Formats: sequence, C-alpha cells, structure tokens
Amino acid sequence: MFEPLEIFDLAAARARHAATRQNVVAQNIANADTPGYRAQSIAAFDDIYRRLGPDGLNSADFSRTFDAKTPLSPNGNSVSLELEMVASVDAQRAHSRALNVYQSALNILRTSIGR
Amino acid sequence: MSGFSETMGIAASGMQSQTERLRLLSENIANADTPGYRRKTASFEPYAANTMPEGSVQLGRVQLDQTDLTTIFDPSHPMAGPEGSYDGSNVDLVVEIADAREAQRSYEANLRVFDQVRQMSSALSDLLRR
Repeated sequence: MFEPLEIFDLAAARARHAATRQNVVAQNIANADTPGYRAQSIAAFDDIYRRLGPDGLNSADFSRTFDAKTPLSPNGNSVSLELEMVASVDAQRAHSRALNVYQSALNILRTSIGR
Repeated sequence: MSGFSETMGIAASGMQSQTERLRLLSENIANADTPGYRRKTASFEPYAANTMPEGSVQLGRVQLDQTDLTTIFDPSHPMAGPEGSYDGSNVDLVVEIADAREAQRSYEANLRVFDQVRQMSSALSDLLRR
C-alpha cells in the first residue's frame, strides 16, 4: 500500500550530504590556524549518486574525507578561509534546496490524498 | 549521520580557541613595556579530550617566546645596570596587531559557519510545521 517514494530518499540524502559537508567545513575553519592541518573535503553528491545509484543512497555514508590539496601556507596549514566560506554557503544552499524539494513532494502527496 | 549540534560544537571550539588566543595577545600588548617580559605564544592543536566532537580545536600549552629581550638604554631607570641599560620586553606590537587581526578573521569565519548551520537546522525543523 505504501510504496517507497524515491524523491524523498533522494532529497533526504542530498540534505544529509550537505550537512556532512557543512560539518567538514566547520572542522576546517576551526582548524584554520592549526599548524600542519590539511583542509579536508568529501566526495561530491553527484559522484556518489552515480556510483551507488538510487538504491544505495539510503545507507550511503558521506563522511569519508580526503585531503582537499589546497596550497600550503608557511605553517603547513592548507585551509583557505575564502574557499571554506564558499563551500559553506554552497552546502547551505544545497541543503535548503533539498528541503524545498522534500516539502513540495510532501505537498503533492497531500494534494493527492485531498487534504 | 553527523548532527547539526556536533557541527555547531566544532565551530564553537574554534571561536573559543580564537578568544583564548586574543586574550594572550592582549596580555602581551598590555605588557609591552614591562621590563623582562617575554611574549606568550600558544599553538592550535586538535582537541584531545573526547568531550567535544571529532575535529574540534583547542589552544595548546602557553609557551614563552625565547627571542632576545630588547635592551633599552636609560641610565636614570631604577633597573639600569652598570652600563646604563636594562632589559625590556620582546613584544613586537606590529606582530601582535597582525595576530589579533588574524584571530578576528578566523573568529568571524567560525561565527559564519555557526550561523549557517543554525539556519540549516531551523529550515529542517520548518518541515515539521503545518
């Protein structure tokens, strides 16, 4: 009776990915002055989606980080506050986009049951 | 799944560390004319205790800058030695101000992230409305 609706999974996974990205950005910015710290990043959502397909998204773990390979400053730190700001805004926009998709899918569902 | 509060905790640890750093800076600047004062420095390091989320930062042990103290020639000064000079501090105001600017910039960046995460979590709870 209750078919799993793919769009909800997709929107939820996108929001989850954005939240994880924001977490990594927060770590980078908190460590912006830590000597020897390397800026971290996570795989882009479309890459993960292409690899796992719609079925793998539910259990996907986005938290695997890797060295973002940005240029080093003299103290061995590779965090660029400017790039992190961009990534942070990017994550926030992706998150609100995903939530909007979720919300309108919910609205469609509501309309279809006549409420 | 990484919670928003964890992310906010990381940003908060960054802000706290920058505040402590600013405190050390202001101690240095306040003591710029104290004879024999060595400037305090501390380096950032990963948060050691596991009370804070992974990726948090803290200020490490405070160390004294071991560069040479400045020698100030002033025979009338009470601390002046036989050759008429005494040891001043090794605080360089230009360095301290530059450091303070960096601390402020990093603090603001942490604050921006904090605000961003707050917006994200309130957008999420807006879904539950109606």
